[in-house]
This record gives sequence, structure tokens and C-alpha cells, in this order.
Amino acid sequence: MPTKELNHIALDALKQAGAEKAEAVLVKTEKTELNLENGALKLIRTTIDHHLRLTALRDQRQGSILLNKINRNTLAAAVQEVLAIAASSAPDPAHDIAPYQPAKVFDKGEATPDLDLMYERFKTFIRDVTVDFPRIILLNAYLDFTRQTTFFQNSNGVDFTVNQGGYRFAVTFSAQEATGSSSFNNTGFFTQNLDQDLLDCGSLRILLAQANQGQAPRKVPEKFTGEVIITPDCLEGFLHSLLGITISDGPLIAGTSPFRHKLEQPVASPDLTLASRPVSPEIKSGYFITSDGYEAQNATIIEHGVLKTFLLSQYGANKTGLPRAVNDGGAFVVTPGDQPLAALLKGVKRGRLLNRFSGGAPSPNGDFSGVAKNSFYIEDGALQYPLCETMIAGNLIHLFQSITGISQERIDFGTALLPWIRAQGITISG
Amino acid sequence: MNIDLSSFKNLFTAYTELRYQENNSLVIGFLKGNNTTNTRLTTSGVSARVYKDGAWGFASSPEATADGVKFVVNTATHNAAFLAAKEPQDGAPLPRSERISHRDPPPTGRSPSPEQLVDFLQTVDRYIATKYPRLASRTVVLNRMELKKTLLTSDGAYASSLYDRSLIQIGLTVEHDGAPVSLHEVFGGRGQFETLFSSPEELYPKIDQLYEHLMRKQEGVYAAAGVKTCVLAPELTGILAHEAIGHTCEADLVLGGSVVGPKLGQLVASPLVSLVDFAHTALGETCPVPIHVDDEGTTATDAVLIDQGILKGFLHNKESARHFQVPPTGNARAYRFSDEPLIRMRNTAILPGKDSLEEMIASLDDGYYLIRPSNGQADATSEFMFGVTLGYEVKNGKLGRAIKDTTISGLAFQVLQTVSAVSQEFKWLNGGMCGKKQLIPVGLGGPALKCQVMIGGR
Repeated sequence: MPTKELNHIALDALKQAGAEKAEAVLVKTEKTELNLENGALKLIRTTIDHHLRLTALRDQRQGSILLNKINRNTLAAAVQEVLAIAASSAPDPAHDIAPYQPAKVFDKGEATPDLDLMYERFKTFIRDVTVDFPRIILLNAYLDFTRQTTFFQNSNGVDFTVNQGGYRFAVTFSAQEATGSSSFNNTGFFTQNLDQDLLDCGSLRILLAQANQGQAPRKVPEKFTGEVIITPDCLEGFLHSLLGITISDGPLIAGTSPFRHKLEQPVASPDLTLASRPVSPEIKSGYFITSDGYEAQNATIIEHGVLKTFLLSQYGANKTGLPRAVNDGGAFVVTPGDQPLAALLKGVKRGRLLNRFSGGAPSPNGDFSGVAKNSFYIEDGALQYPLCETMIAGNLIHLFQSITGISQERIDFGTALLPWIRAQGITISG
Repeated sequence: MNIDLSSFKNLFTAYTELRYQENNSLVIGFLKGNNTTNTRLTTSGVSARVYKDGAWGFASSPEATADGVKFVVNTATHNAAFLAAKEPQDGAPLPRSERISHRDPPPTGRSPSPEQLVDFLQTVDRYIATKYPRLASRTVVLNRMELKKTLLTSDGAYASSLYDRSLIQIGLTVEHDGAPVSLHEVFGGRGQFETLFSSPEELYPKIDQLYEHLMRKQEGVYAAAGVKTCVLAPELTGILAHEAIGHTCEADLVLGGSVVGPKLGQLVASPLVSLVDFAHTALGETCPVPIHVDDEGTTATDAVLIDQGILKGFLHNKESARHFQVPPTGNARAYRFSDEPLIRMRNTAILPGKDSLEEMIASLDDGYYLIRPSNGQADATSEFMFGVTLGYEVKNGKLGRAIKDTTISGLAFQVLQTVSAVSQEFKWLNGGMCGKKQLIPVGLGGPALKCQVMIGGR
């Protein structure tokens, strides 16, 4: 099994072979996974993997290689190859590696899984769902424990070691209806231990209870523009899409981002405060170092509607002259609002509760359209019935500028902490 | 791989699959002339999957050594035994594969050097930058993939397969009224780079065509939301075949309550529609993702899902085939050495018809001609959606204004009932990837279809 020492050998070899700057990242992963298929536990998986990523810079040219067949012989060949790849690249002075930072070891989570407890928790979940939500069909689910160790070293003296372990649960389900089964839905969460029953984590009880009602879905009565309540399960995808087209490397380097001149300016509703908090205790998964070798820090991305940072890597920052982000994004925490969810719902004259969005990738200008799945029609402040064959269309940027309320309640997914958000200006058609 | 898998047969104590796999990929990317990415990735290892008394155990290791093989076989066997002891299940034996031996031929071409590849892409990028200075941004990305597998099963199957794919993705972005408008296209497909791309100049007419579409798209209008009669270009039909029909016919989804379960033998589509998941050869040619032996050691056969509108069958692995009492179709596939085989499509296509695409468009009074898809998703109810990045209004049989990015959706079997014309023109989509717990390369193809779908708009 490769060790941290391998990184030092690789860095020495890269420098001797002519690299002006070099980086070596060794990641070792062990996973134990219990799998359910169509209601029954069917499979246990044990997977062991490791990979080494080498990056070399010479004459402003960068190349990298990732391999998992790692020993001294393959390492020598990989060093030669990564330098050949770098030599073939076009020169770009923006390529660089992270500067020296004090060496650090980060530890989070458990070191080994408790397979018997995993099995017991999973069995309890299956039994509880059967009793509490008899219409639910568990299509597939998995509970895994993953232990990962990362050694990150570079020729500037960066020397980080990260040990992380935890449990991840994901489930896809549908519900029996009079004529077959409902649309499937899925959710999940991350946790560092199995102290709680699975059913009590994340949004599981809420989503299963909604699906278990067994009400026949209907189409919307007509096309209209109304309000939408975006659930926490749905919100995370919308946030990733919004930030992906506005403040990440791609659109900022290309110069096409609608937010490229918006730092410290309003970009969203004053109700919205969004942070990326990968090293906060409220995020159970998280990460300690960025992909380009900096110690990660928490950051507020949007504060009361004002854009506080871009999500630029070191390369993106060098390329654009804009400040580098202190983390890689994700680990979202949205500040709760001042209204209970029930009040948010009561304020909707006509609209929908959006549990899942199945749509095309949003356009670079924020336009999106797609199918509203597992969602409910709202009229006069109350959920009326589940919807089928219903599409929504709007613009992501306008959506977050048109927020009319944020719930006090939030769902803790372990990977993110998110409320329900109400917004207006969505076209709903069926 | 320096080990002979057959020398480990004595470790098998139950039904066992032992697989060595190596995935190689190469990504070289240019963003607005900047060489942002130049990286090669290679991962390899061994895995074993064991079936015992109705329970499965799986294990994988990157160490393709005798010790690595012993570890994965013993651990997978232990995992299956652990679960079998706790979860009494139907432990009937799986259908036995015939004893087969298969080996794909090795590649014949000489791979270009990293310098040649970078130079090729840089030449394409310079062509775009020079000819189209109005563009706000452009991307040129090469993505090469190579999958090598060797499989040994306790049934006696021994198969070596090799799959490679080379794709160049071109993306163009223009700013219109201060907002970015983009269009991209993927070129290439199955095969090695040097056999698919002989010179940058061959791409220029296609790039010019892409730019022309983009110029019209920047002036585009929102589609009118609602149900519309549309002509779907072959690329969209391929996604429809995959997302809307193929997924609902995967036997694991059928067992989970997919809408097709009770419809076997029934008319589910227009009699103009026939749909097949091809194993390796279709319409006289090798498919985009040829599978001769699947990752359970089953000889892959074509799976006819719909024949002239009638639902004929499902996609199976060994376990689902036993449940439905039919022969396995060879649809069990795994993406990485550390993945277990799942029921996956291979090359799913609606068969060509007798109409002409030109006449189909001319027959539309008020609708849309939808040309290029983006991502898609499906549901067990057969409700599908996929993004459309290029399309045009059709009024009185004439192509009109381009439309902005949109999404189409519908209940697949209702949509297929509305099919009123199927073109002779047939095309496979370049570079299909499917996500179902694991990614996997797939082929998606079809003719143009005239049908009614729901379109998302304002």
C-alpha cells in the first residue's frame, strides 16, 4: 500500500527530471457499502482504491497524470510522462501551485465501519418505512462507510494530511397509487456516526410522508405564472447551477458571466445569505484543503443579497486578476428566514411546492426549463394535490432576486444546511 | 495485467465473476485559447462478485496481483456469506452461461504524440478565433476513453474486451444584448483519434455550420409552453429511445414498478415504431458501443423492446432473467474495476422508417423542428425530459426563427402513440454517457420522428 513517502519520492524525481514546480497528491479510499434493491438487502461491497495525481510545471507549461498502479517502477515512468505532457502543453503564465503554508494534519470522523450496526440501522429503516409509510416502494438504497486519507505535498513545501471517515445514505423510492406507482424520488444525507435512526435524518420523513399520501396526481389547470416554494432537496441543485454559470472559473475566464462586474454589489434578494462552510462543525462532511492545495476556510458567498466572493481557483484568479476563493464551494449553509414553513405556504395564492427538478442544464444567461417532479399544486395557501406532467420555466438569476420568503426550518443533510425558499415569476404549464 | 485470471479458479466456492479492468482517458482542453487542461488518467484493478444463497458480495482492489485477486475473491465470498446468513432469500441458482471465449482485436493504429494532439486542438481553436472574432468565448476539448476488461466466471466464460472512443467537443458563445448565448457540438465517436480525425480542416465546415446556427439562436425566441407537434431530429430520437423507453424496460426498474410491467405483449406505441437495444451490430454496421460478452459472462444478444408498436421484452441480467424465466440478454455492465455490473443499455435505437425528413418538416403547420439535445432524465412512470439546445419554429411547413434553450417532456408511451412519421435517415448520437449509480458509455440512435411532446417555455 502506497504511503506519504511516495509523494516525497515523486516530488524529488519530478524536480530532478526538470520540473520547476511540482505537486503530488495521494488519495487512499476504503469503502464498505450495503445495498438494497427492490425492498431487499441484496449486496455488500468492499472496495479499496488509491490514486496518485502528479502535476508538473516547466516553462509555464503544465501537465498532469493520475494513476493507481503505484510502485517505484510505475512512478519513474509516470514522472517522465507527466513532464512530456507538460512539454506538449501551450504555455500559460497563470498556471501555478500553492505557496508554502505550515504543515498540518486534519482528522475528522471514524476510522472503521461498524458493519453490524450498519446492518441493524438499515434493517430498522426498512421495517419502519414498511410500518409508517405502507405505500412506499423502496427501489434502491445504499448505506456506505468511506474512509479516505489524502496526502497533499508540493515543491513549495505544502504538506497536508487529511483523514476523514463517515457514513452516507441514499435512497430512491416511489409510492403505490391506484394505477401503478408514482414518479420516483430520491434523497440522502451524510453523517459521522450512526447514533440516530436513518429515518430521522435529512428530509426522509418529510418526503416519505408526502409520497405516502397516495393522492392521484393531476395536471395544473392551466398555464400561469406563479410562486414556487423550493424545498431543501431541490435547492442545493439550483444553488450549484446558479454559481456554476456566474462565479466559477469557466464563465469568469471566458468573460461571459453575468456577475463578472458584480462583486460587492446586489445579485440576489436581500433575504438571501448563502455561505460555503466546508470546515464548519455544522457540515458533517466538508473538506480541509482546496483542490489546488490551500487550507480551506469558510466563506460567505452572498450576504443579504450582495455578492461577497467569486469561486475562483488559483488558476482562475491568476487568469482574471480577480481574488482567489478561500474554498472550492459546496458545503452550502443558507441563513434561515423569519417565517415558519407553514406561513410561507399560507402566503401563496397560486403556485407549487417544488420537491425535485428534472431539467436541461441551465443556459449561460440563467434560463432554465424542466419537469417539476414529486411536486404539489398550491392554491389559497394550502397544498391541493400532487402534480404530474407539469413543466416550469424561468431564469435562475431572476429566481434568486425574486425571493419572497425563507423558512425558519432547515434540513441538515450533513453536506449542506438548507431551508425552504419561496420565490415568484416562474411559468408553470402542463 | 501480468496475471492469468484462470489460475485463480480454485478460489471459487460459489458462483463467482472475477474481472480485471483498466480505464484510460486523456483530456486536453482549451478555453478561449488558454490550454486549461492537459491530463492523462489511468486506473486499473481487480474485482470479484460472488452469489451465494440469494445474496451478493463484491470486493475490489487496485492491486492486480495474486494477493489482490485472493483478497477480492475471499472478501466478496465473505460479504455474500454475511448477508446470506442474515437475509434468507430465494437462493435458486442463476442461469448458467454457455462456456465461451471471446477476445476483441487489439488496436492497430499508432497513437499521436501529446504534442500532435495539442497542436491539432490549437489549430482548431485558432481557426475559430480568427474566423469568428465576434465570439465572446470558445471551448475546444478532446476526451479520449479506453476500457480494457478481462473476465473469468465460475460458469466458464473467459472474455477480453477493448473499447475506445475519441471525442472533440466544440463550444461557441456569443453575447447578445449583454447576455451569453451558447451552442456546442460533439464530433467523433467509437475508435481511436487518428482514425476519426485525420486533419483539423475536416472539422471546419462543421464549425462553420455550428456558428451559423448560433447566429440564428442569438436572435431566438422562447418556445411557447404547451403540447406541440414537433419533428425530432435523429439525435433527439436517440435520447428518447434511451431515456423514455430504454430505462423503463430495464428489468430492475420493471421489478420496482415501472409502468411497462403489465404491458408486455400490448400495443404501446404507433405501429410505425420499433425499438431495439442492439448488442454490437445494427443495420449492417458496428454499433457505437459494441458488447459481445457482458460483465456476467453472458453472450450479448439484441433485445427487441418494441416491434411495430408492441412491447416485446425487457433488458436483463442473469438474476432478472431467472425471475422472468427468459434468457439473459447480456445487459450487465460495469464502468470501473470497482463497480459491480448493473442492468444497462448498450445501443438503443428506434429503427428507421420510410418518410423523408424534408417532407416531415414540410408537413408541419405550426410546430418545432428540434435538432440538438443536452442532458436527459427518465422516470419509472415513463415521464421523460431532455434539454434542447437547438431548434426552430416551423410555420406552414417552413423553418422560421430559432428558439432559445428549452426542455421537452412527456409520457413516453403516450408520445409514441402520436408518432405519425418516421424518417429513412438514421443517425447515432456521438458520445452518449448514461448515469445510473455508475456512468457508462452507451449508443443512442434513431431516425427523425414526427410526434407530439410537451415543450417548456414562456
